[in-house]
Amino acid sequence: MSEEAVLSEIISAVKNFDVDAAVAAAKKSLEIGMDPIKVIEEGIAKALRDVGDMFERGELFLVHLAAAAEAAMQAIKVLEPELIARKLERKVVGKVVIGTVEGDIHSIGKNLVATLLTANGFEVYNLGEDVPVEKFIQKAKEVKADVIAASALLTATREVQKDLAEAIRKEGLDVLYIVGGAAVTPEWAEEIGALYAADAGSAVKLLTEKLSKRGD
Amino acid sequence: MEVSVQFERKLKPLEILSRDDLYNIHASTLEILEKMGAKVYSDQALSILEEAGADVDRKERVARIPQHLVEEALKKHRRVVRLCGRNPKYDVSLDGRHVTCATDGTGLWAYDLDTGERRPSTKEDVAKSALIVDALEGVGAYYPLVTSLDCPVHAHVVHEYEAAVNNTEKHFISGDTYLVEEARFLIRMASTVVGGLDELRRRPIISAVACMMSPLILPPDQTDAALEFAKHGIPIVAMTMPLVGSTGPITVAGSTLIGNAQILALNTVIQLKYPGAPVIYSSYTLSMDPKTGAFSVAFPEATMVMAGHIQLARYYEMPNFAGGTISSSKVPDEQAAYEKALCGLMSMLAGGDVCGTIGLLENYTVLSYEQLVIDYEMYTMMLKMIEGIEVNDETLALDAIYQVGWEGNFLANKHTLRHVEESWVPIVADASSYETWKSKGAKTVVERAKEKVKEILRTHKPAPLDEDIRNELNEIVAEGEKKIPKKAAKAVAH
Repeated sequence: MSEEAVLSEIISAVKNFDVDAAVAAAKKSLEIGMDPIKVIEEGIAKALRDVGDMFERGELFLVHLAAAAEAAMQAIKVLEPELIARKLERKVVGKVVIGTVEGDIHSIGKNLVATLLTANGFEVYNLGEDVPVEKFIQKAKEVKADVIAASALLTATREVQKDLAEAIRKEGLDVLYIVGGAAVTPEWAEEIGALYAADAGSAVKLLTEKLSKRGD
Repeated sequence: MEVSVQFERKLKPLEILSRDDLYNIHASTLEILEKMGAKVYSDQALSILEEAGADVDRKERVARIPQHLVEEALKKHRRVVRLCGRNPKYDVSLDGRHVTCATDGTGLWAYDLDTGERRPSTKEDVAKSALIVDALEGVGAYYPLVTSLDCPVHAHVVHEYEAAVNNTEKHFISGDTYLVEEARFLIRMASTVVGGLDELRRRPIISAVACMMSPLILPPDQTDAALEFAKHGIPIVAMTMPLVGSTGPITVAGSTLIGNAQILALNTVIQLKYPGAPVIYSSYTLSMDPKTGAFSVAFPEATMVMAGHIQLARYYEMPNFAGGTISSSKVPDEQAAYEKALCGLMSMLAGGDVCGTIGLLENYTVLSYEQLVIDYEMYTMMLKMIEGIEVNDETLALDAIYQVGWEGNFLANKHTLRHVEESWVPIVADASSYETWKSKGAKTVVERAKEKVKEILRTHKPAPLDEDIRNELNEIVAEGEKKIPKKAAKAVAH
């Protein structure tokens, strides 16, 4: 099987939201000795961008986006050991520490952001839910994060986003701080000195744009 | 969710009237028709009834109809009535199991899409509203919402049909064909479109309303027009419009009874002359505001009479066309929204076969393009509801529940992917966050509906008629202007 055939198989698997087919195609790519970076960048990421565009145009539902992202993630997991073995590093757009703030256990939106970021070339450290401020800070220092992303669904818990903003300033961390979640408004983000994205797609766009400017 | 011109009802209709209630109303109807009789202004109808054995008083024009004639007629009408489109993919089968949606009217005013002004309706309004109906997947029939007041008014029927048939491939219901002459012209036009009268009988692409008068009158011209349509196998929408407390009794049961008597009287005349004729049971009851005497289609008493009529129609195994998204509000406002939602849902839950009145305000008299799209959206919501709840292994999603477990979510689950296309999706309703809504211009539903209407008018292209058919129709319209009696104009402002 040619590389092109494997790439087109993996693209159609992601676009058909088919986890099993995506995993199978990823395995096949390794069997024929393909460069896993190429599989990710020219296959998986490309397919996901197309799905993202269709979602934005209203041609696909949210569950399609989530399912495509899931297929992409599972395929990437298959490729990861080979990346490590070959001592290859994906060209990482940026390192993101993400979590839902302390007192809040809502995960869906945050996980969707994490998945889409991963699929779009970010290295993502998902701390889960009910994450204390110190844990965000500690992890960001540890991995030398470029971005801290904090989600809050409840008006009561969004106050923690403000605490986190203060902690970032106090620690003097050189990171982009982005907030999201149902309780968050652009005004709130501005008030606490954070970036804001209304949904997963715009979070990916905004961070990609900001980080590319940073790199210049 | 896939919506087409007909949709299968799975939810059992509400039983508003018990079996005993239905029997009681039916028996009372038979008694009225036999004892008091109906006033019959059509000579032809009087003769038909007299020949069949009714007790006819020619001087009073009253026909006292023996019970057995009414009962026998109820055995003859077509059980399944087809509303065919000029494109067969839009055929609707009214069989008690499927529902569809239709516009109705026929109003005299329209809110101008560009200026927002409430102005007399025009032929272009007929054309534009037909085009929108053609684009809205779930609407199964076009009934001119308004008439073409910019054309010679006595010839409005032929002008309405010309504007409609050029802009929609769906079934056409004529609302105000009051004279035999109008009926003949309309039949000629429809047979030109399908290629002859035999083909029209086989595939009736038009149907026509025959509106009775309350309390108990079969009017002259409408009854004769109905017989003319029946002769050609064209479905008759037998319509009753009692005004609860004025031309009908003030009680819901009483107005239900009087409306039922009108429809059974007309059905008897039609079935005596043309056994097996397709008849649709139609109720457009109105309520009176007891304080002012003003009337409204959307007061709960009127809605309940219509619900009763819907159930009676089902009892007689006759397709029904009643109620729908009705309102007496002047503008597409909150009153329009709650009246339309509550009354529309009630008629659908009661077992309505055709959800009508999308796009009209002020009791069937004013077209609002925006309201047309909003009401259509309400109809699609009702469709989702009358699907009921399907319960089986697949819908219970046990496998998915075990796969997802205590935490996580169903977003990317295969079960979700299998069923997500069944989801109801809004057309104009907005579920986004305040921020997103604000950033998109903080538009009301009416503003969003206006955008949708403009998009449809810009992009939707129904298949055109052949040029020679178009020309022939145009000639018939010109001839109609000359030959249809001027008195047809009188009926327009009924």
